[in-house]
Amino acid sequence: MIIQIIISGIIMGLIYGLVATGLTLTWGVLDIINFTHGEYLMISMYVSFWLYSLMNIDPLLSLPIVIIVMFIIGYLTYSIVVKNVINAPALSALLATFGLSLVFRNMAQFLWTPNARFITNSVLSGKKISIGSIIIGYPQLAAAIGSLVVIYAIYYFIEKTKVGKSIQATALDKNTAKLMGINTERVFGLTFAISGAAAGIAGGLLSTFYPVYPESGILYALIGFVIVALGGFGNIKGALYGGLIIGLSEAIGGYYLGTQFKYAIIFLIYLIVIQIKPKGLFGW
Amino acid sequence: MEKSITNNKKMIGVVLLIILALPIIVQDNNFRHIMILFVLYAALGEAWNIITGYAGQTSFGHAAFFGIGAYTSTVLLWKFDIIPWIGMLIGGIIAVVVAIIVSYPAFKLTGHYFAIATLAIGEIMLQLFVSWEYVEGATGIMLPIKENGYKYMQFHPMNKLSYYYIVFGLFVITVITAYIVGNSKMGFYLKAIKENPDAAQSIGINVTRYKLYAMMVSAFLTAIVGSFYAQYVTYIDPFMVFPLALSMQIVLITVIGGLGNIYGPILGAAILIPLSQYTRIIFGGTGKGLDLIIFGALVVIVTIFQPNGLVGLFENLFKKIKKKEAINDGKLHDVS
Amino acid sequence: MKRKKWLSLLSLMMVIALMITGCTTAEPVASEEPVVEEEIVVETVKIGAIFPLTGGAAATGVKLKYAVETAQEIINGEYPEIAFPMAENAGLENLDNAAIEFIFGDHQANPEIAKSETERLIQNEGVVGLVGCYHSSSTKPASATSERYMIPFVAGSSSSSALTERGLNYFVRIAPHDGMETEFFFEYLKNLNENYDADVKTVATVYIDNEYGVHANMMVDKWLEEVYGEEGFERILDVKYPSDASNVDTEVLKIKEAAPDIIFHASYINDMTMFANAYQLYEVQPKVVISYCGGFQDQQFLINLEDAANYYSGSNQTIPAIIAANEALSKANEIYKAKSGVDFDGPALEDFASAMVIAEAINMAGSTDGDAIMEVLKSEEFKAPYFATGKIKFGEDGQNEFSASAMTQIIGGEYQNVWPGEDTTSDPVVAFPDWSTR
Repeated sequence: MIIQIIISGIIMGLIYGLVATGLTLTWGVLDIINFTHGEYLMISMYVSFWLYSLMNIDPLLSLPIVIIVMFIIGYLTYSIVVKNVINAPALSALLATFGLSLVFRNMAQFLWTPNARFITNSVLSGKKISIGSIIIGYPQLAAAIGSLVVIYAIYYFIEKTKVGKSIQATALDKNTAKLMGINTERVFGLTFAISGAAAGIAGGLLSTFYPVYPESGILYALIGFVIVALGGFGNIKGALYGGLIIGLSEAIGGYYLGTQFKYAIIFLIYLIVIQIKPKGLFGW
Repeated sequence: MEKSITNNKKMIGVVLLIILALPIIVQDNNFRHIMILFVLYAALGEAWNIITGYAGQTSFGHAAFFGIGAYTSTVLLWKFDIIPWIGMLIGGIIAVVVAIIVSYPAFKLTGHYFAIATLAIGEIMLQLFVSWEYVEGATGIMLPIKENGYKYMQFHPMNKLSYYYIVFGLFVITVITAYIVGNSKMGFYLKAIKENPDAAQSIGINVTRYKLYAMMVSAFLTAIVGSFYAQYVTYIDPFMVFPLALSMQIVLITVIGGLGNIYGPILGAAILIPLSQYTRIIFGGTGKGLDLIIFGALVVIVTIFQPNGLVGLFENLFKKIKKKEAINDGKLHDVS
Repeated sequence: MKRKKWLSLLSLMMVIALMITGCTTAEPVASEEPVVEEEIVVETVKIGAIFPLTGGAAATGVKLKYAVETAQEIINGEYPEIAFPMAENAGLENLDNAAIEFIFGDHQANPEIAKSETERLIQNEGVVGLVGCYHSSSTKPASATSERYMIPFVAGSSSSSALTERGLNYFVRIAPHDGMETEFFFEYLKNLNENYDADVKTVATVYIDNEYGVHANMMVDKWLEEVYGEEGFERILDVKYPSDASNVDTEVLKIKEAAPDIIFHASYINDMTMFANAYQLYEVQPKVVISYCGGFQDQQFLINLEDAANYYSGSNQTIPAIIAANEALSKANEIYKAKSGVDFDGPALEDFASAMVIAEAINMAGSTDGDAIMEVLKSEEFKAPYFATGKIKFGEDGQNEFSASAMTQIIGGEYQNVWPGEDTTSDPVVAFPDWSTR
């Protein structure tokens, strides 16, 4: 049973990690805690659901569309809202995204009603693999592998490509980056766009087995914040490992200490780790 | 010491008087209820300002202290028949103790890490009380009905004024405390710490100690307001007094009004509380979430156009007035 | 001198701002309730209805609003073809055909807002009665408040037994409470053991960590200790989960490990669906799963799970099969369906009933005086043809003594009435079949 728990923890951890990756980018590059990140997740889940229910497109096939939509929404968030608060005190910027998250959440309720939707007949639904006594559902497996792949893809992009390096430079010191000729405006917009797309993929994958409703993003965002702070902001490796740690803590801690404490345990782990490494596991 | 408009004692006094007078003049009970909430949140904002606005330590977990206050006085009343005034003080003291315990490790953290740590502490508090059977956990506590009157801080629900006087009194205490802290040596040190903690340390300010003082004061004030809340609503459960949403509401009010400024929480609460109450009353009945859409949009707009808080609007107005005055008095040449 | 002018201008601006907000809804109502004397003609009788209309439970809250609106339509209109009390004539006969108007408030699942909405509806809207609030945690302070104003409160679907243990004089409740339901569940299990050789003994409780779930679990403890522990039932697992869980894998794996015969669920629609999906994924195979009034009773459960919804059971005040067998209810259902898009489910019917009963009580009392209405509520036996039991009678403590609960099970993709009594539509299926055969 413990192995099953561990696997379940790893799967959730990878998904959390993908959510955190998007968040850590905006946090690291713009030094802003993006409260709408959870809503990106929620919106992408709805997009995935509507494409499925109205046009019969399987959520896996609709991923590219979801990615594009979320890429645009992420970029628009920057250009319409965040750009205008970037030089404001940190708290104001944060609250701008908080206000926006309220708008998104309630627009979703206004437009689509609070009823939770489920995707019941995707190509993966109901299928699972069994290895001995270990069971892993296909949707969960796809979500976990997909998350890992995307995290790595983003990591590769940031580390190895020229554009990625310009993002890194801007994160380190935006003024110097500007002096070096980097168009920081574009970098910011791109970062938000990638962040949105990352959340979009997570949402598209989650929609195959998780309920879709207006408030579905809140918890993931909260866990995302903790993971990013745990891993060190701006640090994708940190987001991945942080995600795994949190996913495993939730599963194992919940199993042994009581499922009602699942989330308290996550927060406690954060507090403990951060005592030992005050800038996160990989922060500097 | 700034000689800005915001430090003018007379001005503060006038504003306080107006706030006191309003619910006496307007006799509608719903209005009085909204005034009570307004003053309650303004008080919370003033308390929060001390640690975040003055000392620069962003806390997203202040609901923890609020809830401690609410639960302490309630449990003491319910199980030991201790009058809420004493319960309130004990709640404040417990909040201070908790503040000390969590602050020592927390202050090692900086910026966003500290903020998330406070958020984590708030959430842990919530879960703790949900699972704690002694305080009835998730089922909550219905306050025992006592005789009406100031002794037990309980009045007939129609008598909003008596409740108002009490919360207003607490509010005045927070304003005075904030004013004193802001204009004292401690305030000066906190400002230095906020600007540049390392420099402050190097000139001999014990950074940790002053941050701790700020946190203790802030926690105490927040907790006593929490006790009042429990008395007013007569029913509490952990989801009402410990949620992240409450912590965020305190943040919202103060930042939108103006961080680090005595008028900030007052202004912010004056706008946000009536807004959230009235949009819910007008639109909430449709079940479509319109009230929160408007609320959220307003927050976005204010943070974009007035990131330093709405207080900035008034300060600009007064600067213009002063400039005009000075020109008229011949002290300044009009070069426009 | 000029500075003082600007000072007063600023003060004036703030005063005006606050006063505008104050005056927009200020309709100072006299603090005593309007006592209707014979000479005064009441044109509209207003009743407050407070439900969670936004936030997490909004899906259910909005449906309950439609249920109350359905009642309003039937009462105010002339529906001789619907054999309900109050349907035939327009409005309240004994009050000169006064119309009834339900004024809705949204408590947003926050007990503080429930309380303040109660006060606002009483003070500013002049409601003479209240129904609501679905969430027991909101019904508690709302009804404690209406008590102090001496305004009658008829709760429809709130299930916590604590509500009728408070000794309130102005409160009645229609739904059976979780203590009654727990007893009902155990009796059903005994029936399965005695008549179907089910051999079910070990119980696991799986419940959401809030008032509803925690209290239901307490009732299980209570009944096991007082009665059913000695009849061979025993609890082997207690799984409490946070109200906004992102996944329930850990919970389900714990359940799988303990392998209980019986699972009692106190869950709302989202978590119930997640659990059912996870039971299927991890091949958890209890014999019986019985739900308290929550997610199972919501038809969305069928939509979400399709075939996997089969074999779950739960108590229900009504199901489509019961509606179809009741002509008057079918007609009322059509009105409800036109608003909500779905058939009546248990909670919706209970809140529909609360609206009908409070209107009927006011009509019988011939007045909007709180004491007169309560007198009627506590003494009359109300005809309730929309319930299987056909009647509603409130006891001393305000609890409806006639529970219309039927044990229903989803068989063949539909809710079937499986126990007790004569109207059953199917025999129960006593154990979940092996997952590999499905």
